[in-house]
Amino acid sequence: MLSGVEKIKAPYFCGASPISVNKTGEWRLLTPTRRESLSPCSSDCLLEGEIPLWLEAVKRESWPEAWQIMSRNNPFPALTGHVCYQSCTANCNRGRLDEEVDIREVEKAIGYWRLDNYEPGGKAVTSKGKVAVAGSGPAGLSCAYYLAVNGYAVTVFEKSAVIGGMAALGIPEYRLPRTVLQRELAILEDMGIDFVTACEVGKDVEVARLYSEYDHLFLATGAWLSRRAGIKGEEAEGVWYALDFLSLVNRGGDPESGGTVVVIGGGNAAIDSARTALRQPGVDHVSLVYRRSRAEMPAEPSEVEAAEDEGVELIFNALPREIITKNGAAVGIGFDYCRTGLEGLIVDRNRSFEKSCSTVIMALGQDPDYSIFGQLKETRPLYAGGDLVSGPATVPEAIRAGRLAAFSLLADLEGTPLPDFGARPLKKVSFEDLNLAAKVNLQLQQKQTLPFEEAARCLGCGSCNSCGVCYLFCPDLAVDRSNGSYEFNLDYCKGCGICAEECPARALVMEGGV
Amino acid sequence: MLVDDLNREREMIISGHNACPGCGAALAVRYLTRALGPNLAIVLTASCWSIIAGAPPLTALKCPILHCPFPSAGSVGSGLKRGLEAKGKGDTTVVVLAGDGGTFDIGLQALSGAAQRNEDIIFVCYDNEAYMNTGMQTSSATPFGARTNTAPYPLFKEGRKKDIMQIMAAHGIPYAATATVAFPDDMEAKLKKAQSITGFRFIHVLSPCPPGWGSESADTVHLSRLAVQTGFFPLYEIHNGVDWKMTWMTDKSRLPLSAYLDRQRRFKQMDKEKIVALQEELDDEWYFLMNKVGPADRC
Amino acid sequence: MMAFEVINGSQAAAIAVQRAGIDLVAAYPITPQTVIVETLADFAAKGELGGEFVSLESEYSALSFCNGASAAGARVFTATASHGLAYMHEMIHWCSGARFPIVMANVNRAIGAPWCLDPDQGDSLSQRDTGWLQIYCSGAQEVFDTILQAFALSEELLLPCMVVFDGFYISHTYEAVDIPEIQDVGKFIGPPSFGAQVIPGEPGNLHGMASAENQQRLVRSRHEAMLRAPALYEEINGRYERLFGRKYGAIDAVMPPGARTAILTAGATAETVRWCLPDLEQTGLIQLRMFRPFPAKQLCAVLETYDIEKVLVVDRNCSIGAGGIFAQELKSALYGLARPPAVHDLILAGGVDLTGALIKNALSKMPLENRSTELWGVE
Repeated sequence: MLSGVEKIKAPYFCGASPISVNKTGEWRLLTPTRRESLSPCSSDCLLEGEIPLWLEAVKRESWPEAWQIMSRNNPFPALTGHVCYQSCTANCNRGRLDEEVDIREVEKAIGYWRLDNYEPGGKAVTSKGKVAVAGSGPAGLSCAYYLAVNGYAVTVFEKSAVIGGMAALGIPEYRLPRTVLQRELAILEDMGIDFVTACEVGKDVEVARLYSEYDHLFLATGAWLSRRAGIKGEEAEGVWYALDFLSLVNRGGDPESGGTVVVIGGGNAAIDSARTALRQPGVDHVSLVYRRSRAEMPAEPSEVEAAEDEGVELIFNALPREIITKNGAAVGIGFDYCRTGLEGLIVDRNRSFEKSCSTVIMALGQDPDYSIFGQLKETRPLYAGGDLVSGPATVPEAIRAGRLAAFSLLADLEGTPLPDFGARPLKKVSFEDLNLAAKVNLQLQQKQTLPFEEAARCLGCGSCNSCGVCYLFCPDLAVDRSNGSYEFNLDYCKGCGICAEECPARALVMEGGV
Repeated sequence: MLVDDLNREREMIISGHNACPGCGAALAVRYLTRALGPNLAIVLTASCWSIIAGAPPLTALKCPILHCPFPSAGSVGSGLKRGLEAKGKGDTTVVVLAGDGGTFDIGLQALSGAAQRNEDIIFVCYDNEAYMNTGMQTSSATPFGARTNTAPYPLFKEGRKKDIMQIMAAHGIPYAATATVAFPDDMEAKLKKAQSITGFRFIHVLSPCPPGWGSESADTVHLSRLAVQTGFFPLYEIHNGVDWKMTWMTDKSRLPLSAYLDRQRRFKQMDKEKIVALQEELDDEWYFLMNKVGPADRC
Repeated sequence: MMAFEVINGSQAAAIAVQRAGIDLVAAYPITPQTVIVETLADFAAKGELGGEFVSLESEYSALSFCNGASAAGARVFTATASHGLAYMHEMIHWCSGARFPIVMANVNRAIGAPWCLDPDQGDSLSQRDTGWLQIYCSGAQEVFDTILQAFALSEELLLPCMVVFDGFYISHTYEAVDIPEIQDVGKFIGPPSFGAQVIPGEPGNLHGMASAENQQRLVRSRHEAMLRAPALYEEINGRYERLFGRKYGAIDAVMPPGARTAILTAGATAETVRWCLPDLEQTGLIQLRMFRPFPAKQLCAVLETYDIEKVLVVDRNCSIGAGGIFAQELKSALYGLARPPAVHDLILAGGVDLTGALIKNALSKMPLENRSTELWGVE
């Protein structure tokens, strides 16, 4: 039996149907719109990575999405996650609060997710054309990847027996575990990319032949010519050039460099050589000698510190004069005092010293081998990149060069305009631009070990990082949350603008019109 | 952290309600209901929310709303709670929701009566500092110097804003606290604390009103924050009428009041003398508050 | 089991409330209502009330409190008088609009200025348009019985009910009252089952903004519910009589054989008239018990049945500028009657006592050729 109240409950007496039939979005004059600005990390990233976006995806533990965003700029995050020198963190706004976001660790996590979750057999469509790539270093691999995913059959020619170029032969194992590169390569092979090893373009295979057999060609043969010091005794036994030394070790060879090792040079290859030498059996002391001061060293400071921590002796302002030999083998080096003057190096031959050693590693820099250009008779545009063009640079720079080359090639092949690689939002978000008053995302004040927690420390700086402030402060509950990210429900958004005003990352603007 | 728990299921407010764009009161009630729900009944006295809630059969909240006449909120709330107890539903949280008029002015008698009887209800005043539903007329919660439609230029609100927190503290009720929409965590924490206490609890929420204050609708949260940062509306709580404690760090240097006033048209025609007078009033109140709050609890 | 007790009208009201199985009593004192709330407080003190007794800080709050409690489905009661009732005015409207079956005793007392404690009915009659049922009682027994019946009537119609009786003449005057045991009362009125409006966990926008059209629908539904009251009241009294041997009507008429004149009044004055009837010639009594809804049909039927020529209305009230209120209402009820009686009005506003001499004097001043005379109790 109905109670009295139930009997009287006419619809106009007391109601209980949701007011959401009122589409109050009709009141709206301004509409919240995402307008992304450039974050410091993104701005400083050598790969132009959309870092806040993939951090945001990781924060939501949406790994496929993170990989999808990442791979737009960087198809090898596991690789770069190990070897990138992280220019991205230098100006990280989080650093103004507590500690910079450890972007590279999250990048590495995305890379490993990709390695672990790649589904084999997913061969890319390869019917649109054929492209040859000379050189299997990061630049060549990156170019091959983007061409393959865009439907081209790619053949990569590598002069060495080992695929990977500098990543395989130049970078020491302690910086990049070999398995990472091997797993990346396995994926590329599974995607249908062909690798031809021990085949040097210009020598084992003519450039002209590649041009005739392929629709196009990308040259990324790197910078492998070691610079000579031009000093006495350079040809002695026990004198190495850094790349020869590193690649022998990386191939599993033994340079038999026992006793005392002296590395000459101040770049990253010098540091790599010194730290690699330190790891060789029988080596009991490694010195690194650089002709200028510590502040002038081109090597990554973090790497220099790591070398020093490991026990590498650093000697500055010393220029090698000669390598002292005995029975054709190096036994020491003579140095002169040297410093940077206004018009180049000032060498003081009256202040010299000798250092005895059993192995010398010369890391004086590398040059590209430009001889290949001599073989070109084509009038078609030439695509080249990586160290071949830039001179010795870093893995991320090579990956970027490969990507740019791939998209330029695609435009060329498909007759479309060249993409505007410079099109990035102009405004860079400074710490002062941010609105941290709502104090979201500020809890984790130290680096976190879990990637999604570390990613949650990102302040977003110009990109939505799903902090939820727009949702939190919406009086109309007109911000929908699905899969952890936020969208405006324009049926109910009255356009008050609180979300844009409060957005900590400054990624929202109110735009006119309904 | 409230923002860490963005569970939409907890939300009790329904989109499509009739609040103006940028309404602080809509936001306040959103936080209030999600903090205290779902076993919640609201007694709602005449105020903006009488309109915001919608015309039956529509409703803007997922819990029962019992509308009541302007002066009656405290007593209707008391009756509802005891009625629910009599019917074996004593576990329901009864919230009385009133504007500043229904609290400071016409509702003060019933509020005081309920507080004195220590009724087991939570009385929430959403204070937009004037009769906003009727179109911005002066209430005793209107700050000194503000312009209203019953104090149009060159008139202005004379006399201080009534200190409702002192009044409530004088009743010796178990819990009283201030809160505002820019600090949803603080607000939720206070509401949850209030819910865990038996007896009369009072929450005073400053809720900016864009049309009434003459502020940008986007500024609602910002203004609410500035109100705290300038010391215009300090955040604190009072246990048993005697134990006063700041809950939000207001630095020794409060922001200058102008940061708050300049963004509101109701203060536009205020001359320097009045601003100084208002600042002095706030300084007095600040001094009073700091004396009430022990050195350890100044946070 | 029944037992007679010698009690006053206020105690009778309080005992009836206690017997009715009340959930909550909300009270604020005012002369001459105080004995009711004190008696209920005594029950509470002894643990015999069965519900809670709550002292509020004003009459307005007392009725507001009842409003809230009734929304939860609780059976509630309050009592007041005079200025207290006037102060409740806003809530009196609201309770009816919200359909809360609240029962309230109002002890008639004149409203100031100036201060006056005598039983003018103007306080309750000022509330005649608020949508409350109003029943006027002429003695303590009737108060007791009517309070119990009011709960039944009110909860069935979902309209609040005011049980009205005169200050002092009834509230403070002792008589023997037959009081049934609580378990027997339980047979008449069980626990409240009218239903809660506020149901935790269920959304509801109770009494929120309505359009004019919806407001009219609601007013009409209240009006129609109230028009059901006389018939329902008869039915309730039938049940009551079977249990306790007493019954009342919306009007109760005492017509000696050959009576052509009727005295119509409500409240304690009816009891005075009843006692005087043997001394009066060809004169009967019509006791108006139910004032809202106004029992026009029943009144006309009695007047026609007995072919009444003249009615003397005793009004202990006055609508200033219009005259005695019961007389006004009676005149309007007679509209359309073929041979309407003459209506003369004896106004005892201020709460003036009705005596046999006053009645006789009034009856002597009602010549047949006059259709309407306004007489005042005090010259």
